[in-house]
Amino acid sequence: MRPMRGSAKKAEILTLEAAVKKYMHDGIVCAFSGFTAFNRNPVAFAWEAVRQGIRNLHVLDKHAGLCTWFLNTVGAIRIYETDWVGWGEMAGKLDLSVEKLYTSGKLILEEYSHGAMTMRFLAGAVGAPFIPYYAPLGSDLYNPAYDALGRAGLRNGSHPRIPSRKFIEMTDPFAGEGKVVLLPAANPELCILHVEKVGEKGTARWRGISTLDKEMAFASDRVVVIAEEIVPEARLREHPESNPIPYFVVDAIVEAPWGAFPSAVPYRYDYDAPFMRAMDRASRNEADLKDWMEEWVFGPRDWRALIDKLGEERLKGLRADPKTGYSTAVMRGKRPAPRMQAPLSVRRSGY
Amino acid sequence: MSTPMEERMDLIERIPDEPARPEEFILQELMTIAVAREVRNDDIVFAGTGLPMLGIMTAHLLNAPHALLIYESGVCDGKTMHIPMSVCDQRAAYMSSALGGLVDTFGYYLQQGFVTLGFLSGAAIDRYGGINVTAIGENYYAPVHRLPGAGGNPDVGTMARRTVYIIPQERRRFLDRNDYTTTPGWWCRDFDTGAWRPKREIWKGTPFAECGPAGVVTNMGVYRFDDDGIIYLDTHHPGVTLERIREQCGFDLNCARLAGETPHPTYRELFVLREFVDPELIFLPETRPYPPAIQALIDRP
Repeated sequence: MRPMRGSAKKAEILTLEAAVKKYMHDGIVCAFSGFTAFNRNPVAFAWEAVRQGIRNLHVLDKHAGLCTWFLNTVGAIRIYETDWVGWGEMAGKLDLSVEKLYTSGKLILEEYSHGAMTMRFLAGAVGAPFIPYYAPLGSDLYNPAYDALGRAGLRNGSHPRIPSRKFIEMTDPFAGEGKVVLLPAANPELCILHVEKVGEKGTARWRGISTLDKEMAFASDRVVVIAEEIVPEARLREHPESNPIPYFVVDAIVEAPWGAFPSAVPYRYDYDAPFMRAMDRASRNEADLKDWMEEWVFGPRDWRALIDKLGEERLKGLRADPKTGYSTAVMRGKRPAPRMQAPLSVRRSGY
Repeated sequence: MSTPMEERMDLIERIPDEPARPEEFILQELMTIAVAREVRNDDIVFAGTGLPMLGIMTAHLLNAPHALLIYESGVCDGKTMHIPMSVCDQRAAYMSSALGGLVDTFGYYLQQGFVTLGFLSGAAIDRYGGINVTAIGENYYAPVHRLPGAGGNPDVGTMARRTVYIIPQERRRFLDRNDYTTTPGWWCRDFDTGAWRPKREIWKGTPFAECGPAGVVTNMGVYRFDDDGIIYLDTHHPGVTLERIREQCGFDLNCARLAGETPHPTYRELFVLREFVDPELIFLPETRPYPPAIQALIDRP
């Protein structure tokens, strides 16, 4: 059972280094915002956590992304509950560090489907202890033999964030027919969000795809918001309907421009496909990976130095167009993006 | 003012809708067009990254302009200008009807029963349409080959009215039984007893008992499922013999209902796919030249 929590508090403004030092610690149960490696991953925070040597993490996720890529590279995750361990569709799909850690028994991987993890966070967000969901009945995801945390002896009540069961299959107790699966709520100790704007009191806003960020924030004990920009609260309160995160759930805020690089922050900058491909290439060889980490993680003095190292030209190409929210200057495939004024399907057949 | 790309749209109707010859298209184009033809104009489609995405975008410009497309990241009916590299690429969300998150797509749309067509990829399939995207090898905890895992595959594959999969066909990927069933097909395990039972029985009393795999498009042919939920070969791709197909299938495949060769993509379909859907060559590895008569139509409208 989770205790009552919270008070009408104002978030504290911290540096990236101080926020990691204060809010991350070895063994914490945490969750990262965004979606795969493409959208609003709080990369700067995970990057700093790797530099500070945080270990033994328990990550609750709805898939993998850049944060888990960095953390897995140094073997910082011990328990990983998620539905997908790729990290970016264009870069070879599987996170090779996950495969290495998993097959050598260093990583406990508890798997659900994407919809099931979504429902677990939704339950966590609304304070419900569990939630019924149909899918995917008959999948090996609900094979009792494939309960990784149970197999590791961790479902014995000794760990307050690990439910006593992975799931419970039962007949709908109201209608009396039809099976349904009860899923335990996901309740991380810490949620890290990357957003476009945050008010100085903690009210947070992003544009573009929402993913599962509001649910993750409300499901967690503490929330750290990393923002492209800290703005006066008043500016966000002129359009409160656009603010998914009210200030009172936010504990700390950090201003870190380009803090989601190489993922995208819609309407600010695009994802950097060539950079992610280089990460993936490096991960295929231990020596290359060590060099890459030295150059891009341990080498730079701070996050700002990493962004400066990328160079103005590269950043300019990634800057988002204000109308579409992305950049058409980046070379993603073998040919440049065509110029267009309206979607072709609309031009042809209307909405 | 129209851009050059937009002006070329007017050419679509003038490009003949006649089948191209096998040497004029590549396999990915054939597979994408085969998938695009599965879309009906009133479908609500839940599509994954890659060729499924190309298929629905092609259908939007040809046979199913008003099919509603959902991407799991939260996008409802995006009107895409540039092809997304992922379902959470902001390109997918341009001019969408509503833009939410995962609770919207898996809850409000999918579990609510709105989705009529799932478009997914898979790594291995069994004869009942069960999909494995998790792990190859008998020991789940020590797999021979670890795959990225479920994602939304099992949610969509069990709760969309019908699902079409794109799968590379090899003997080790076309199996009597998968090592691991991520997304159950028409037969699945009852973990209370360990027995395999029809999906219709396991899911009886839920809204989704009749939902399941409807088609599979591979690099060798197009497959469908009979009333018992068993896969059969519907059409073979140009130049692919039944012997080769049987060779690359790990069970006794039903070829008795073979309807013939997979219809070739037409010049118009190829024109749309190449010029408007993936002109940046993100998912298509290459394009072949058009025959001179078609190229002349494109050059001198």
